[in-house]
Amino acid sequence: MTWLVWRQHRNQAYFAAAALALLAVALLVTGRDMASQYHSALASCAASHSCGNLGDSLILGSTPLTLLVGFTVVVPCLLGVFWGGPLVARELETGTSQFAWLQGVSRRRWLTAQVGWVLLAAAAWGGAVSGLVTWWSSPQNALKHQNFQPGQFDIQGIVPIGYALFAVALGIAAGALIRRTLPAMAVTLGVFTLLRLVIGQDFRSHYLTPLTSTFSFLHPPAVPKGSYWLVSSGVVGPHGQVPGVSSHGGPGISFGGVHLPIGHLPSACQALVFQGPARFGSCLAAQGYRAVINYQPAGRYWAFQGIETGIFVLLAAALIAVTAIVVIRRDA
Amino acid sequence: MISFRLDGRSVVPPYLQIVQQVRQALRMGVLDLGDKLPTVREVVAATAVNPNTVLKAYRDLERDGLVEPRAGQGTFVVGRPAGPPPGTHSRLARSLAHWVRGAREAGLDDESIESLLRITLRAAAEEETA
Amino acid sequence: MASSAQAAIRTSGLSKRYRKVTALSEATISVPEGRISALIGPNGAGKTTLLRLLAGLARPTGGDVAVLGARPGQDPAFLAGIGFLAQEIPLYQRFTAEDHLGIGAHLNSRWDGDSARRRLDGLSIPLGQKVGTLSGGQRAQLALALTLAKRPRLLLLDEPVAALDPLARRQFLAHLAEAVADGGLTVVLSSHLVADLERTCDHLILLAASQVQLCGDIDTVLAEHQVLVGPRKDTTAIERDHTLVHAVRTARQVTLLIRRGGPVVDPAFEASDVGLEELVLGYMGQHASPAPARLTMIGEEQ
Repeated sequence: MTWLVWRQHRNQAYFAAAALALLAVALLVTGRDMASQYHSALASCAASHSCGNLGDSLILGSTPLTLLVGFTVVVPCLLGVFWGGPLVARELETGTSQFAWLQGVSRRRWLTAQVGWVLLAAAAWGGAVSGLVTWWSSPQNALKHQNFQPGQFDIQGIVPIGYALFAVALGIAAGALIRRTLPAMAVTLGVFTLLRLVIGQDFRSHYLTPLTSTFSFLHPPAVPKGSYWLVSSGVVGPHGQVPGVSSHGGPGISFGGVHLPIGHLPSACQALVFQGPARFGSCLAAQGYRAVINYQPAGRYWAFQGIETGIFVLLAAALIAVTAIVVIRRDA
Repeated sequence: MISFRLDGRSVVPPYLQIVQQVRQALRMGVLDLGDKLPTVREVVAATAVNPNTVLKAYRDLERDGLVEPRAGQGTFVVGRPAGPPPGTHSRLARSLAHWVRGAREAGLDDESIESLLRITLRAAAEEETA
Repeated sequence: MASSAQAAIRTSGLSKRYRKVTALSEATISVPEGRISALIGPNGAGKTTLLRLLAGLARPTGGDVAVLGARPGQDPAFLAGIGFLAQEIPLYQRFTAEDHLGIGAHLNSRWDGDSARRRLDGLSIPLGQKVGTLSGGQRAQLALALTLAKRPRLLLLDEPVAALDPLARRQFLAHLAEAVADGGLTVVLSSHLVADLERTCDHLILLAASQVQLCGDIDTVLAEHQVLVGPRKDTTAIERDHTLVHAVRTARQVTLLIRRGGPVVDPAFEASDVGLEELVLGYMGQHASPAPARLTMIGEEQ
């Protein structure tokens, strides 16, 4: 079976290997440059004790490069659509299942070999891309501490492996159920995107209860250390009421590097908005308002990576189970 | 070696066609005592006929004492069908050709000749049984 | 012919229903070992369904089926014993014949690749060319060679010669019959071409309207039927003693195809033997509309 799996998928493997090689070259070359840039900047700012502002002053990499790296978020989806979708669907659609499933191996063994190798390859590819991106991003992570934020979180660490496994399992299951290649690929694309958005946007912030910190407007805030994830921010009133706390966007005031939406602030202070954060801040403090942020501390980064990867791996396992039942029990 | 020609449109069943072709070959001298018949496999490969058909034909010929299977070697001719010696056929064929020429000159076409032959055969058969 | 103790195929009340359509209804058949059986019937009668059920590609919704003594399944032991050739000749279009031989060699425990190669060379089928670029006849021969290389004990073929020219058809059937002559092989072959079937087959399964109409050795089945031609008159007596399969009635004449329930004693009727094609058409005509029969009687009053 191994021979057959390789023979059937070797063109796809060559193509993906070439793409991975190109990406690797691009990231390894530029990554080394960025790392040395960062370390020399660090050395010079240490001499003049001005490293605190390094995050704002040093720009690493270029926009196209950053876009390329950001684009790797679609790699799991591509694997799912192109490796997973056609796996079972094409055999059923062209009728070759009537050839393959009547050679001397049971459908169970055929499926185990096909699914096993493809999932392994997907995990390897997802891991390789993620490894490259994580390594390449380490100067940026040290500088900007953004890697727990959505976007960066999805392309670094181990979650891309979970996404890749899930996407391929989804593609295979869709193919087994729908029995047509193109519709299966379309369904895989749609369902995968939807699920990633829903889990990333809505579920992720609740894996562990976010911590809350409140700050007085009279002093510079003690922002959490390291790469924390700012889930939401806002202001809280004197009696604990929370006018217009939201995650991002809307009119607001930047306070200690955090954006606070204004919403229903006391009219007395609204007029002072344009008079500078210091006077605006004192007014709010006088009215009994404090700044509040909900966040996930940096120390929880790997826990979150693990939880999200686990969720997607469990989903993948469920989909594979469904596929096995459908392929073995249904008419060929 | 004899090769068989099976007519799919004939009313004669295939196995009987094989039997008849062997008997005819023996009468005409195409097959002689000691000759080997084609194997079942060879006949099947040439004509796409069912192997059982060939087996049945060869069994019939064996039952009539015309052929004999020898284990591991094949089926061999061991007898000739009862009837006149081979030379008779050629002699009669010549006189028949002469008669046919006369019939054609008299204006009979092939269909009338065949019809005449059938009627004559039937009349002769009735005479024999009477 | 001595009857085999072990039937290669035995079914009882076998049925296959899809949501609203019954593809096969209460099929009870038996095919002895060593036969080349003709599976005949109009399109949609259930031939493909029956073959797929026998191969284990589809599950029955009712009834029993035993193939080579076992229920069709997906275990390697069963799969090694059967060969199936679907109508569309499903091979991997982008693989070469050599690739397919490789697949067979890797996946089958009993594999005779050498005889397959010899056969393909004898037919001048190129082994290094992609299957998608071969002609229909070459693909059919390749598929048959691959199926036979498994050394199965039962071969199920769904209209394998439909797209072949007469020479290719003859070569295909010769190849098949040779394999049966070597021994240990039973074949069920569905086709529309009665002339081919008459030559190569010795057993018959006739399906019409999703039901089995006839099943048995061709010689026996033909001997059981007769065509009676006679003046147009009351045929109730005949219909009572025998089974009427198909009747054509004109103003003056009636032609009956019957399955004999005993000797035919009515002197008004001229009895004659029935050939395979006439028999098949008679049974298939039972389930067709009667209009075509009238069309042939031009000039006669009804």
